[in-house]
Amino acid sequence: MEYKPQYGPGTSIVAENRRKQMNPDYKLERVRSVTDEDVVLILGHRAPGSAYPSAHPPLAEQQEPDCPMRRLVKPTEGAKAGDRVRYIQFTDSMFNAPSQPYQRTYTECYRFRGIDPGTLSGRQIVECRERDLEKYAKELVETELLDPARTGIRGATVHGHSLRLAENGMMFDMLQRSVLGEDGVVRYVKNQIGEPLDRPVVLGKPMDENWLKEHTTIFHSLVGTPYRDDREYIEYIQRIHSLRTKYGFMPKEE
Amino acid sequence: MAKIERTQKLFLKSLKEKFQGQEIESETAEFYKFNGVRQSPRKMEFMKASRAIEMDRGIPMYDPERCHLGGIPMGQRQLMTYEVSGTGVFVEGDDLHFVNNAAMQQFWDDIRRTVIVSMDLAHQTLQKRLGKEVTPETINEYLHILNHAMPGAAVVQEHMVETHPGLVDDCYVKVFTGDQELVDDLEPEFVIDVEKLFPTKQAEELRAEVGKALYQAIHIPTTVCRTCDGGTTSRWSAMQIGMSYIAAYRMCAGEAAVADLSFAAKHAGVVHMASLLPARRARGPNEPGGIKFGLFSDIIQANRKYPNDPAKASLEVVGAGTMLFDQIWLGSYMSGGVGFTQYATAAYTDNILDEFTYYGMDYIKDKYRVDWKNPSPKDRVAPTQEIVNDIATEVSLNAMEQYEQYPTMMEDHFGGSQRAGVIAAASGLSTSIATGNSNAGLNAWYLSMLLHKDGWSRLGFFGYDLQDQCGSANSLSIEPDRGLMGELRGPNYPNYAMNVGHQGEYAAIVGGAHYGRGDAFCYSPLVKICFADPSLKFDFAEPRREFAKGAIREFMPAGERSLIIPAR
Repeated sequence: MEYKPQYGPGTSIVAENRRKQMNPDYKLERVRSVTDEDVVLILGHRAPGSAYPSAHPPLAEQQEPDCPMRRLVKPTEGAKAGDRVRYIQFTDSMFNAPSQPYQRTYTECYRFRGIDPGTLSGRQIVECRERDLEKYAKELVETELLDPARTGIRGATVHGHSLRLAENGMMFDMLQRSVLGEDGVVRYVKNQIGEPLDRPVVLGKPMDENWLKEHTTIFHSLVGTPYRDDREYIEYIQRIHSLRTKYGFMPKEE
Repeated sequence: MAKIERTQKLFLKSLKEKFQGQEIESETAEFYKFNGVRQSPRKMEFMKASRAIEMDRGIPMYDPERCHLGGIPMGQRQLMTYEVSGTGVFVEGDDLHFVNNAAMQQFWDDIRRTVIVSMDLAHQTLQKRLGKEVTPETINEYLHILNHAMPGAAVVQEHMVETHPGLVDDCYVKVFTGDQELVDDLEPEFVIDVEKLFPTKQAEELRAEVGKALYQAIHIPTTVCRTCDGGTTSRWSAMQIGMSYIAAYRMCAGEAAVADLSFAAKHAGVVHMASLLPARRARGPNEPGGIKFGLFSDIIQANRKYPNDPAKASLEVVGAGTMLFDQIWLGSYMSGGVGFTQYATAAYTDNILDEFTYYGMDYIKDKYRVDWKNPSPKDRVAPTQEIVNDIATEVSLNAMEQYEQYPTMMEDHFGGSQRAGVIAAASGLSTSIATGNSNAGLNAWYLSMLLHKDGWSRLGFFGYDLQDQCGSANSLSIEPDRGLMGELRGPNYPNYAMNVGHQGEYAAIVGGAHYGRGDAFCYSPLVKICFADPSLKFDFAEPRREFAKGAIREFMPAGERSLIIPAR
C-alpha cells in the first residue's frame, strides 16, 4: 500500500492551513514579488553580483568515490558547486503570523532538499548551500508563508514573537530592521543580521487581520482560532502520548 | 476536560504593577522610547559602579551602551520588575541572579555544607569494642566538644592553628532521633526536636521512621565548602568527629578503634545530600548534579509549615529547585554564563505558575472531588492514563489561554522555554497532587509539552526537542534502562542532564505527590528533619521569601570575611 502523508490532524482552519503549507502538491499562493538582488541584500551573506564563495571545489572536479549513497542522493545545485552553507532565520509573531517555527520546519522538509532546519520558540533557522538558500528564501519571502508585519527575517536579536505588537501593527524588533512607512509599505532597511542596507528592500503592505486569521497556522483564543475548539487535534495528541507511554516508539495499538 | 471559572487570577496584581498605566489585556504597546538601559535604576547603578572600578584598575568593564549590539542597548522595550511569587515583593530582574543575591548563595551553601552522620555505629564501637559507657551525659559532653571542634578548633594536640570563630559562626552540629525520652535527656541547644518542629501527624511518621537511632546534622563552615567543594563536607566533618570522640571518651589518639569511628563518619554512617557524578560531569558528592529529586523535596520544608496547602509547598520547591538546578547547576557549573536566570525566574515570579497550579487544584476538586486542602492518601484519584491525560490537558489549555488572553503576561514570559516549563509544571503538579504518584505527574508534564508544541507550533530551545518529545515513553517505566521512579531521578538522570527549565519543576512534581498525600517526607526522613532546623542561616520553609529578601538586600549570609580584610 502506497504511503500517503496525512500531514496532521484537526478540523479547524489552522489545521487545514498547516496541511496545505506542508503538502508539496499544494501550490503556495504568491502574494508579493521581490528580486533576486532583494533576497541577497536581506540575507547579507554576499554582495549582490559577487561570486559565491566556496567551501570546496565543485563536485565534478573532485575525485568522488564510487559510492552507492552518492548515486542514490543527487546533489543540489549548491552542493554541486561547492557553495558555503549559509542561513535564513525567521521570527513569527504569535499574533496570527502565517507560519510558525515547527510549521516552517515541517514545510521546508516536505518542500526543499539539502536543508538543515532548527526550531526554537522565537526563531526558526534553515541552513543549506548558498545558491539553494537564495532560491528557497525567495519562495519563503514571496509566498503566503510571510507577512511583512508579523514575520521577521532576523539573524540575531530575534526577540519579538511573543510581545505585544507596536501600535502600527508591526512585531517588535529591537534592531528595527524593517519599518512601516507612512505609505503603508514595509521596507527592510537592515539585513537580517542588522547591518544597514545601501537601499531599502520593499516587502509591500502588511496583510489585513482577516487574511491573517484565515491563513495562520497558530491557534490563539484571543485573536484567532481557539485550540480547545479543535477537539480532533487535541484527542490526537492525547492518543500519541498514550501510545508512547504504553509502548514507547513502537505502538502496538490501533 | 472542561473549563472551570476562576475569578481571582493571582497574576493580575503583578501585571498591573509591571505594566503601570497600560491596559494589561491590550495587544499593542509602545516601544523604542524607554531610553534603553537608562530606564533601569539597577543598570544605572551597575554603570556607575563600573566607572569607579575602571578609574581604579584602568581596565574597561560594564559598558552596555557601547557593547550591546554595536550601540543599540537592551531596553528598546520596557525593562520589567518582577514580583517574587507568593511574597508581594517586587525586585529587579538582575537581583535574582545568584551572584547578586546573597540568599541564593546561602541556600546552596547550606545544602553543600551539610552531611548527616549516624552516631549509632560509633556508639557500638565505644560500647562493645572498648567497653566504654555511653549515656546522655557523655553524648552532651561529646556534642559540646564537637561544636568546639567542627568550626576548626583543636581538641587533642597543643600548638595547633585554629579558625577565627567570627569567620565560621554558621558552623554547628545538632542531633535528632525518634526516641523522645533521649531527646528529653539531651541539652536542648543540641537537639532538632521533631515533636516541636513538625505537625503532629508528620512528627509521628518521622519519629517512627527514625526510631531509636541517633543522627548528627552537621553543617561545616560556609567558607570551607566555598574554598574547597561539596566533597569536602564529609571529610571535614569526619575529621572533627573523630577528634571529638577521642577527646570526649578519653581514647588513645592512635588506637585501632579510631579507624572504626573514622570509617563510620566518612563512609558507613554518612548521608550525603548528593551523590558523586560520573567523569564526564566530574563532581564530588554534595554538588548539585547529584541531588535526587525526592531528597531535594525533603530539603524544602514548606509542607511542614503549610501542611494543608500542597500547591504552595510544591511551588516553593519549584522556586528553590529552578534557582539551584537551572541558575547554579546548569547555568553556571555546567554551562557557564548568565542567561539561565531568565528561564528559572519565570517559574517563581509574578504568580503565574501559582495561578495555573491553583487552577489545577480547583479542577481536581471540581471534577475528581480531591480535597487538596486536607492532604490524605484516601481521596487521591487512580493514576490511569485517561485521568492523567484529562488533568494535563485541561491545565495546559487553561494556561495557554491565559497567556493568549493577557498579552502582557505573554510578554512577561517572552521565551517559549519559560512558558513551556511553567505550563508543564502546572500540569505535572496538578496531576501528582491529585494522584499522589510522582511518575503520573511526570507523564502529565510530557503530555503538556506535546499539546503546547502542537498548539503554538513552538516549544522551547533545542533542549526541549530532546527530553520533552520522548518523555512520554520513559515517564511510567522503571525498568533500569528506560526509566526510574521520580523520587530517585535527579539532575543527572540521562535525559535530564543538560536541559534548563525542567529539573526544579520535576523535583516539585515529585514533592507534590507526597505533599498531596500528606506524607511527612518524600525520600529521606533524615533529610527532612535535618533541614527543619531553625538555626540554619537559610529558612528552607520559605525559599521564595528568602530569595526576595536577598534581592532587596535584606538577607544576612554567612561566609563573612571582613574580619580578615582591610576596612573599606
